[in-house]
Amino acid sequence: MPQFFSNKRLILLLVGMIFLVALISFSLRDRNHASLPEQLIKDVVGFGQSMFSKPTQYITGVFDNVESLLNTYDENKRLKVRLEDYVTLQASVNDQRLENDELRKIVDKEEDLRAYNPIQSTVIARNPDQWEEKIIIDKGEIHGVLENMAVMTAQGLIGKVILTTPYTSTVELLSTQNPNYRVSAVIAGDQEVFGLIEGFDEQRKELILKRIDNEYEVKVGQKVTTSGLGGIFPKGILIGEVTEVTTDDYGLTKLAYVKPAASFSILDHVIISKRTITPVDGSDGENTEADLREAEGDGS
Amino acid sequence: MIRILVIAISVLLFYLEPIFGLFSPIELNNDFYVLVPRFLIIYLIFVSIYYDRKRAIVYGLFFGLLYDVFFIDIIGLYSFIYPLMCLVASYTVKYIHQHLLVSSILTLLLVAVVELLLFLFYTFIGIKTMTFTSFYQHNLIPTMIANAVFLLMFGWAFKYILLNRFNQKALLLQK
Repeated sequence: MPQFFSNKRLILLLVGMIFLVALISFSLRDRNHASLPEQLIKDVVGFGQSMFSKPTQYITGVFDNVESLLNTYDENKRLKVRLEDYVTLQASVNDQRLENDELRKIVDKEEDLRAYNPIQSTVIARNPDQWEEKIIIDKGEIHGVLENMAVMTAQGLIGKVILTTPYTSTVELLSTQNPNYRVSAVIAGDQEVFGLIEGFDEQRKELILKRIDNEYEVKVGQKVTTSGLGGIFPKGILIGEVTEVTTDDYGLTKLAYVKPAASFSILDHVIISKRTITPVDGSDGENTEADLREAEGDGS
Repeated sequence: MIRILVIAISVLLFYLEPIFGLFSPIELNNDFYVLVPRFLIIYLIFVSIYYDRKRAIVYGLFFGLLYDVFFIDIIGLYSFIYPLMCLVASYTVKYIHQHLLVSSILTLLLVAVVELLLFLFYTFIGIKTMTFTSFYQHNLIPTMIANAVFLLMFGWAFKYILLNRFNQKALLLQK
C-alpha cells in the first residue's frame, strides 16, 4: 500500500471523515423532521417503491387466499359454534349503542374521544436493515396523515406515525426500543386504570406498561387499550393483554407486561386513525405538551 | 442494451430489498430471526470486481444516499459504507484470483463486515441495545445464509453480464 496513503489522499481521507461525522451527527439530531430535499427524495423513491410492492402484495395475497381456502372447512366448523353467541352479542351491542346515542343527546355531548376517521393504507416497505422497527406507508400529508397519529391493523395498535412527507409516511412500531416512545394506555376492568406503555422487552416480546397506581388491582388477562388522553390517539384501540404484574424498580408504582394483540412481523395493510375530536399537543411521543402548559398558565 | 442493464439491475435490487424485508423477521420456535436482504451491495461488489471500480463507487454513493434518506433518516451511514466496501473489494481482488467462487466468498465476507459495522454503529449511538451473541445468532447467521442463497442463484448471472459489458467497453476503446 505505498501509494494509497500519499499525502493528498491522507488529507482527503481526514476531511472526508470529519465531514461524515458532522453529517451523521447533524442528521441524528433532528430525525423527526424531513427537510425539503429529503421530502422530495422520499416521495420519488416511495413512488417507485409502491410500483414494486403492490404487485408483490397482490401475488402474496393470492397465496394467502389459497391457504385460507384450504382451511375453510375447519374454520367454518369453529365459526358456526360461535355464531349464536355472536347474534346475541350483536343485539346487545346495538341496544347499547342506541342507548348511548340517546344519552349523549340528553346531555348534549356530541364529541367522542373514541370516534375516528380511518385512513386505509398499504405498507410499501419495511426498513430493510431492521435495526429500527419502522415501516413506510403510501399515505402522506395530502391524505391527511399527521405526525403522532395512531396506526393499527384489524388486530390492534401497531405503532404511530413519526414522520410525514406529502405522499408517504414513516411509522415506528410499538416494538421499538426508543426510550422516548410513549403511549398513554388504560387497563379496562371494573374501573379504568391508567398507565404508560414505555419500552419493549426483547426477550419476552412483550410491551411494558409502567406507572400504574399502586392502589389499583391489575389482573393477568385484562385488556389494555389506548386511553385517548395523550392528545392525538383516539380512545379504545386494543393494544394487548396483561400477562404479568410486578412492581417497578423503585417499588412506587406497578408495572405490567402486555402481550401485543397485533403481530408486528408481517404487515401489509394498516389503518391510520384520524381522530375526529381536535387533537392537542399533549404528552404522547415527541409532543411538547405546549397546550397543556398553556392551560396551566391560564389557570394560575 | 447491456449498458442500461448494468444500472437497471441495481435499481431493481434497490427496490427489491425492502420487499424482501417485509417477510422478515421470521419466527422459528418462538425465536425471531432477522434476515436482512443485502442484494444491492452484493451486486455493487461484483461491479467493482468485474467491471469498473469507479462506477461501483459512484453507484454505491448514490444508492447509499437514497437508502439513508428514505429508510433510516441518518445521512452518511450507507452512503459511506457502500462505497467503502466497493473500494475494499477492488483492492483485495488484485491479490486474489478472479474466480467466481473466490469472489463470492469475498462478497459474503464483506456483507458480514457491513452487518458488523452497522451493529457497532447502532449500539454506539444507543438506538438498539443488543449483545454480540444475540446479534450473532439472530441477525448475522440468518442474514448470511439468506444472502448466500441469493448469491448462489444470481452470482453467475451478474458475472456474465458484467464481464460482457467489460469486454464490450474494452473493444470500443481498442477501436
